[in-house]
Formats: sequence, structure tokens, C-alpha cells
Amino acid sequence: MSRVIFWSTVTFCTAFLALPLLLVWPLAFNTSSFLTYPLEGLTLDWFHQVLTQPTWVNAFLKSLKVALGAMMLALAIGGLAATGVILVPRVLQVVLTGLFLSPIVVPTVVVGVAFAYAFGRAGIGGGYFSLVLAHAVLGAPLVFLSVLTSLRGLDPNLDLAGASMGASRSYRFRTITLPLALPGFAAGAVFAFITSFDEVVVALFLADPGSTTLPIALFAGLRDRLQPSIVVVAVLLSAVSLLFLVLLRRLQMRVAAPKS
Amino acid sequence: MSSAPRPYGSRAAALILLMLPVALYLLVFVYPLSSVVTLSVDNSALSGRFENLSALGTGAAPDDEAAALLADLGGMEKKQLGEVARMLNQQRSGFRSLIMSTGKEAEGITPTMAELVAFDDRWSEPGYWEIIRENAAPITWKHYQRALGITVAEDGSLSSGEDLYLQVMLRTLVITFQVTLLTLLVGYPLAYAAANASARVSTFVLAVVLLSFWTSVLVRTTAWVVLLQTNGLVNTVLVSLGLVAEPVQLIFNRFGALLAMTHVLLPFAILPMLNVMRTIPPSQADASRSLGAGPIETFLRVYFPQTLRGVAVGGGTVFILSLGFYVTPALTGGPEDQMLAWFIADFVNKTLNWGMAAALSVLLLVMVALLVAVAGLARWATARRKVEVA
Repeated sequence: MSRVIFWSTVTFCTAFLALPLLLVWPLAFNTSSFLTYPLEGLTLDWFHQVLTQPTWVNAFLKSLKVALGAMMLALAIGGLAATGVILVPRVLQVVLTGLFLSPIVVPTVVVGVAFAYAFGRAGIGGGYFSLVLAHAVLGAPLVFLSVLTSLRGLDPNLDLAGASMGASRSYRFRTITLPLALPGFAAGAVFAFITSFDEVVVALFLADPGSTTLPIALFAGLRDRLQPSIVVVAVLLSAVSLLFLVLLRRLQMRVAAPKS
Repeated sequence: MSSAPRPYGSRAAALILLMLPVALYLLVFVYPLSSVVTLSVDNSALSGRFENLSALGTGAAPDDEAAALLADLGGMEKKQLGEVARMLNQQRSGFRSLIMSTGKEAEGITPTMAELVAFDDRWSEPGYWEIIRENAAPITWKHYQRALGITVAEDGSLSSGEDLYLQVMLRTLVITFQVTLLTLLVGYPLAYAAANASARVSTFVLAVVLLSFWTSVLVRTTAWVVLLQTNGLVNTVLVSLGLVAEPVQLIFNRFGALLAMTHVLLPFAILPMLNVMRTIPPSQADASRSLGAGPIETFLRVYFPQTLRGVAVGGGTVFILSLGFYVTPALTGGPEDQMLAWFIADFVNKTLNWGMAAALSVLLLVMVALLVAVAGLARWATARRKVEVA
């Protein structure tokens, strides 16, 4: 009896989590422009439409450029922060970790207001650079966490062994620590990229009309009118996420591998 | 101990490494956040325009006040006058026309109170003067007063006024509680299955959770908008099954908002619970069963109490995320279901009232900070108890 209840609950909950996406994706291939079942036929016309429409293509390219820039900057900030933080005394570590992780806790709307106001006053405006800077701040905590975790997992004796053989600090860092912590950096980069690529709230506050990213275009489209092109964009975004999920799994396997 | 070599580098290296990130964080994150706090009490945009009036101070003679006001208004350019009128109008409607008309004629009016009232008898009402005097000061609490529904009477006593934003805050808390409860109810069995079921089932459940986690909030919200629309799949199914005669309104109301928010935030509840459940050895349940406890008693007395830490972390995460949620409620809720975040965005985008947006932001931030503090305290307390037990 309890077994039946358990399995029906799990089935229901899994369906709740998975079905919305699984049901909506096929609608991007539907011949009809009504977004419902039964499917009238399969077509790639909507994909063709989206991929040839300058608004969507430009938004996609903008998102890609912003995400790449934000990833690089977040990687630098978060990576430096993590490699520095493991060297300082315990109390300072707690304080600095709190500082470096704080962007995760602050609601994105508040971050949006803060950036829009401060960047506006500093004259950075709402263009490409301001989006990169804002998204880098949102991505840096994730890089920080990821790199910190991989650094903490290293055996400090490896570094000490290098030191005992006369290797300088920077040489040890380049040849021992960095290669071993590389999967942590890579995973952090993936996190930062996806965070920026999917980010909509801060972008809505900051971006001027010339820097519409894909999430902003999707958000605006949803408020405007439901049409197949919106579902197509959602499917494309999901595909990008899926790609990165697979990439991350690979990286995590590489983190686990060297121990064996 | 101090003579032992330290791995990775020295304090000096740490200083060099940390310099850039700390500087950037302070400049690009801490400073903008603190400027929001300043913005919420800042009134220099208005007070700077009333130099003569603010120089007078309190308790000046009415004629002096009238003269100072006319001097201030007369000194403004047309654009500045419009800006001042717009900002004052946010506090009392009717101010715009009063300021604009008086400002245009300021130089022609004899600077006495009697003449000013003769020009427009609204100047005899103390309410308008009260607002102007208040705004001649560089720091203002008016945004917080409006947000918290407090009105200050002329004698300085406080009373409750229009409480629109208090209601919004209450609504935000109610929705957040509901969403947290729902995510925990749906998430717990899933986390349990991912931690304890056979390898095939747990892999499948975990894959679904991770896929959901990695799909952007906006995409998952899109899915719900498509499913729940009037001609959407859910309505098609309901009608064809004969459960309802015609399509029902499933979206742009509380139901749609709760459903979509629960779905979007679910992975954040599941993953912490799963992490805790994975650490509980299955042999404990076997031991409990061998000592004569039934499956339900085993679950309630052995398994469940150990998972509470995960429930707290997962629930807390969902609670904090939900408090400041914008995208999903904005797209799936109706006007009566919008949360604090929506009003903040509205103030920035529509009415350009940065002061109110900042004040509401600070209030939201305070709520989140309180919650984080409580979580930190709870963690500290449990850690201490563990030390004492040991």
C-alpha cells in the first residue's frame, strides 16, 4: 500500500517537473501556428523564420558576445578571489567569502536597480560594456565557489613537494596548482557563461534598445503575443543549456578522475 | 607550527591576488548597492531647487515663506520647473498645475502670502506647504513613509495612511510561503527517490532535476505560458475530457503564478535535500526495522529528522529566491498577484520614481538579510550543540 502511494507520488512529481518542457518543445515543429495539440504536421519553417529574422539573430549574437565577455571577466575575478582567499587567515576567509558570494543572495531586482542607477550616473550607460560588467558580477561568485572547491580538494603536499625541490611559488602555481585546479576553472566558466546567457532581470534594467539580448527579446515577445517563434527560441535556449550540462558533466568526471 | 612551510604562497601573494577582485567588488557591487540606500533617502534633486526656502528654516513668517517660494520658483528654468512639478505631484496630485501656473507668473506676483493666495487659493491650504517644506530638506523619509503606509500629521504624530505597499509586502510574503511549502511537498519525494530508489530510477529522476535546473527560468516560464493559455494544451485536455464546458482561466491569476513559480524553483529545493539524504546510510533503516519499528515509524523517527537540515536549506533557498522573484510572476500572474519586485521595476520603468524603487529595494533587501541572518544563527546554534554533545 505505502509502496503504491510512494510510486504514484514520485511519478506525479517527476511528471510535474519534466512534462511542461517535454510537451512544449514539439510545438516548435508544429505546422499550425496554434500552440496546442494535436500536432497537425511537422515542419522546420518556424526555425527557418527565427534564424532568418534579424531581430532574433542579432539578439542571439548580442547574448553570445555579452556572455563570452562576462565569462572572461568573471573567470578573472572569481579565479583570483579563490586563489587568494585560501592563503589568508581563517577570520578574513569568512569575511571575504561572504563578500565574494554576496551577489548570489541579493535579489536580482535590487541588483538591477543598483546597476542601472550607478552605471547611469558613472556614465557607462546601458551598452555592451555595462552588461558585461553586470553579468560578470553575477557570475563571479559561481567561479569563486567552483575554483575554491577544486583548490580545497587538492593535496597541499604536492605543492610542498615542489617547494622542497626548489621550485619558485609562481613556477609551482603554473605547473602544479593551476593544471590540477583547471577543471574547477572550466566548470566555473561554464556556470558564468550560462548565468549571463540566461540572465534577464538585470539586463531588462540596464540594456538600452541597441543591446537587446535573447532573454530580453523572449521576455518582450511573451508579453506581446504568443507565437511559434517564441517556442522556437525557447527550444534553442534549452539546447544551449543542455549542451553545457553535458559539458559540465564531462568536467566533473575529470575532477573526480585524477584521484583514482 | 609557524616554522612549517605553507603551501601555495605567502600572505603577500594573497594580498596581490585579492587586490583586484576586492577592488572590483567594492566598486561595481558594494558601491552601487550602497548608492541605492542613499538614493532611498536622498532629496537633493528637490531640495536643491528650493534654496531660499530651505535657508529660511522652520517657523518663518508666512510672508517670508511666500517670498522665498516665489524667488525659488522664479529662478527655475522651464524644464526644471516641470521636473519639480512632476516630483511634487507624486506626493499630491494637483501639485503639477499649481507649481506650473505659479512658476510661470512668479515674477509678477507681489511676494506676500495674501497676494499668493489671491493668485491661487490653493496656497491657503497648509497641506501643500507641508509637502514643500518637507522637500526643502536634503534628506527625506517620504519614500519609506509611503512604502510603509505611514502619514505624518502636522504636529509630527504618526498614523497609518494608505497601505498599498504594506499589502504588497504581505502578499509577497504569503506567495513566498505558499511557494516554499509547495516546492518542499513536491520536492521531498523526488529527492527521496533520487537518493534511495534503484540506480535506474534515481539516475532518471536526477537527470530530470538537473535538466530542469539548467533550463533557464525564462524558458520554463515560457512553457507554462504556452500550456496554460486559454487555447493551450491543459484547457484542450480539460474540455475534451468533458471536465469543463469551456476553457477556464488558468493563467494571469494566482493559480498560474503559484504553479509556474513552484515549478521554476523546485530544483533549488531538491538539490540541497538530495545532498543531505545521500549522507544517510541505508543500514540505519535496516537497523530500525530489525528492532521492530514499522516502515512509517522508521521513516518518521529515524529518517525524516535527519533530513530536516536539507529541508531547511532547500526551503530557505526557495524562500529567498521567491521573495525577490520578478520574471515568472510578471509573466504568469495577474495584476493582483504581482510581488514587490514588480513594483520596483514599475517605479523604475514607468514613473521614473527612483526614490520609491530604492526604498522598496532596501525593504526587500532587509527582509532577505534578516532571513540570511536567521539561517546563519541556526547553523551556528546547531554547530555549537554538536560540539556540546561531543
